[in-house]
This record gives sequence, structure tokens and C-alpha cells, in this order.
Amino acid sequence: MKNQELLSGIKDAIPIVLGYLPLGFAFGVLATEAGMSITQATVMSILCFTGAGQYIAIGVMQAGGAVLTAVLANVLVNLRYFLFSASLVPHLKSVPTKIAAFLSYGLTDETYAVAINRYQNRAASASYMAGLNLTSHLGWVGSTILGAVLGSLITNTDKIGLNFALPAMYICLLVLLVSKRTEAIVAIIAGILCVVIGYVYPSSLHNLSNIIIATLIAATIGVMLNDKQ
Amino acid sequence: MTNSSIWLMIIGASLATLIPRILPVALLSRFEFPAFLTKWLSFVGPAVLGALTAISILAPEGEIFINIKNKFLWAFIPTFIIAIRTKSLFYTLLTGIITMAILYNFVIF
Repeated sequence: MKNQELLSGIKDAIPIVLGYLPLGFAFGVLATEAGMSITQATVMSILCFTGAGQYIAIGVMQAGGAVLTAVLANVLVNLRYFLFSASLVPHLKSVPTKIAAFLSYGLTDETYAVAINRYQNRAASASYMAGLNLTSHLGWVGSTILGAVLGSLITNTDKIGLNFALPAMYICLLVLLVSKRTEAIVAIIAGILCVVIGYVYPSSLHNLSNIIIATLIAATIGVMLNDKQ
Repeated sequence: MTNSSIWLMIIGASLATLIPRILPVALLSRFEFPAFLTKWLSFVGPAVLGALTAISILAPEGEIFINIKNKFLWAFIPTFIIAIRTKSLFYTLLTGIITMAILYNFVIF
């Protein structure tokens, strides 16, 4: 039983790893170009495990910015995880709190999207969380090392369509997750808001505050629509 | 940045990502949420995925790019259809990646 949960976690992480390959690779390349050692790039991927935050840190480094700037930007970019983490809480009752908290280190946009889908009709388990999050984490770290080591031999992964792996995964998870009309409306409103905010305030596209604001508003509208019915 | 600044940045950035991920699960698990909050949180998933999908298609390089030259927009169409038809992550991913590879290699814009 436990093994099966672990295996499904690992299996569900495969598309994520596929999507992380070019992203982690690119991070490894950029990090070493910006002056990080291979060890530093690898440790950062182990400890941070956040695409957006790590890219921003490299950007700050290249621009000659301060440590504090990079850290504050990371605070902002990662605020959305408060929301993700809180929304998983009702599903994690079946997992001991300490283990659930520990495994939540592996919470990313992608592992969240997969997990929240899974928990719609299956109970959460520590083994599943471990399989999903640790495999994804390993993919991220592995591709970072590859990028940092082989940086100079970079090949264009866009050519083989890998840059569409994560968008394709989001599309499918969206289709799977949305089963009620209100949920579809919420998803569409969030999508439109997110793009409009990003258009009006382009900087929100880099700190991802547009995702937070769009989610807060759209979820509230969802509750209001739900009350009317 | 000096070598020690880089390490400091790495530690700071990892704290900034660790706290929002772990804190809610660690602290909130012992509470029973009121019904309206559970309802609200149940809409976070669809909202986040709607937002992530829209941004990954319409701003693939970090800038809003709503234009017929946006390959992601074209790749979205078959991928979305296959997702609805098959409800399979494997076939959806396969369709998306192959479509993108074709667009990238054979379509000039």
C-alpha cells in the first residue's frame, strides 16, 4: 500500500521533471555565468527549489545588486506559497503534521497543481507526498548540476518542444481540476485578471504578485457566486 | 557579489521560500477551518491553475505577448482539445511538446 502510494507519487512527478529539465539546466548555466560556483548553484537548487526566486537572484547578481535586494525579491515571489500551503491544509489531515510540514518544503507551482488534483478524490499520504515532491526536487537539482557543468555545450531545448512541457501540464491539470461551473468561472476570471494585471503592471510578471492578487479576487468571487446558488 | 555574499544570499533566499511553504501546514493543521474559509480555499486551486495557464501561454517569456506570432498560443489549441478529450496528462504533454517542436522547427515567425 505504502509502496504503491510512493510509486504513484514518483510517476506523477515525471511530467514535472520533464518540464524542469530545461528550466533547471538554464538556471545552472546562468548561475555559473553570473559568477556562482557549481557547488553554490547546486546548493541553491537544493535549498531554494524555486524557479522564479532563483532566476531573480541571478538577475540581481548580474545587475550588481545587494544581497538584501535578492532576498526581499524572494520574499515577494514566494508569498504565493502561503496561499498554496494553506489551501492544502484541509487535505493533509491524514498525514502527521510534522511530516506534512517537512515534506511541504517541496511545494512548488507544479507539485501543488498535481497534488491538489490528486487530493480531490484520494486521501493524501506521506508516501505520496514524498514520491511527488522529492522526485521533482531531485529533477530540479539534477538539471541544475547538468547546466552548471555542461553550460558551455548548451543545446537549444526549445527545438524539441520542451519549453511547452509545463504549460501543457497546467492545461491538463486545469481541465482535470475544474468540474463545476463555478470553478470554471473562477479559473477564467483568475486567468484574465492575472494577464490584465501583468499588462498594466509589467513588474508584477517578475515578482508574480499578479498570481496572488488574481487568486485572492477570483476565489472570493467564487464564494460569492456559490452563495447565490 | 563576493563569495560570502553569494552564500548569504542563498541562505536568505531559502528562508524566504521555506517559511511560506511550511508555516501554514505546520501551524494551521491543528485547527478546524470555518466552512466559508474551507469553501474559499477550495477555489484557490482552480484560480491558481487558471492564472498559471494564462500566464504561461500569454506571457511565455515574462512579458505579455498576445499576438498571432505567439507559438504558445497556437500550441495551446490542440493541447487543450486533447486534455478535454483524453483527460490524460501523458497524451496532453505529448501533444503539447510535439506541437511546439513542429512550430519551432517548421513555422517561420
